[in-house]
Amino acid sequence: MPSLRRLCAIFFRVGNFTFGGGNPTTAALQRELVEKEKWLSQQDFALCYALARITPGTNLFAFCTASACRMVGWKRALLVLVVASAPACLLTWALTAGFDQVSSNVWVAAGIAGALASSTGVLVASFWLLVQPALTKGNRLRATVIVGISIVLSLLAHLSPIPVLLIAGVAGWFWKEEEA
Amino acid sequence: MKLIVLYLLLLKATLTSFSGLAGLPVLRDDMVLRHHMLTDRELNQAVAIGRVTPGPKGSYIMSVGYYAGGVPGGFAAWLALVTPAILIIPMLSLAGRYTKDPRVQRTLRAVVLASAGISLSATLPLGADALTSPLTWALAIVSFGLLVFTKLDTTLVMLASGLVSLAAFALLN
Repeated sequence: MPSLRRLCAIFFRVGNFTFGGGNPTTAALQRELVEKEKWLSQQDFALCYALARITPGTNLFAFCTASACRMVGWKRALLVLVVASAPACLLTWALTAGFDQVSSNVWVAAGIAGALASSTGVLVASFWLLVQPALTKGNRLRATVIVGISIVLSLLAHLSPIPVLLIAGVAGWFWKEEEA
Repeated sequence: MKLIVLYLLLLKATLTSFSGLAGLPVLRDDMVLRHHMLTDRELNQAVAIGRVTPGPKGSYIMSVGYYAGGVPGGFAAWLALVTPAILIIPMLSLAGRYTKDPRVQRTLRAVVLASAGISLSATLPLGADALTSPLTWALAIVSFGLLVFTKLDTTLVMLASGLVSLAAFALLN
């Protein structure tokens, strides 16, 4: 089990300093918690990630709470939630208070443009890192169909995430996987 | 009293959204049109601020709270943002009992795959907005490569991209 201090340090750093929204932040947390530290199994990550997507509100904070709950219990998970969200909140307030000055600063805009471009690469990388483990021999068709239909339904049919996830869940329940 | 109303209105917006800016129509209806706690300009600025700050895109709610009620309003917004996350604790406990079932396992894996597809769909319009020059394309491609093929930290990669962009701006100006 990780120490609360080390866990908070990771959630503080990743939760408050990753640009581009919840998806790259979740990808960064996957990298830290599953791949580097191995505090969370791939199965537990999948459970937390799937549940966070169907929890109302900000998926990222639900994911932070769930993954911390899995590692250190629910009481400490509440502390992790505060650590992962409060500092960015303070930054947002500060930026709101001085928005007119900051938004017109060309240097700040140049720095943010670079970080946002990088977040696009991070998002595509997180997509690949999530999908790649499912592309095992015998399961490639299943994984490709589920991902492909989800993209079509959300991008072209403009269906909201919840029905898309429900359809995928039903498909996953009935469509068996081949043994690796 | 105003703070409680503000918290409840913001909570309504967060509870009725499942991603990013999905709660925006509810928020506008309640806070701009009905209660006049906010102007459309302030709401637009809040969304812009949410895009340029680290963390989730839903953090624009914190700017909304700040515009509507100053620092106490911002605190009410933070509470409204984190309250729904607590719902996942009982959900996790309930779902955790069934994770050994192979049908549940493959359902979860299918939901993760679909989530990845949804995220990629959301990336395309964001990418169109962010990738506007050869340099931004190069930063995105290099970031992708570093994350897939190395163990480099995501925060460092994004920070380095910001610095490269800044350095390029300094060289060109």
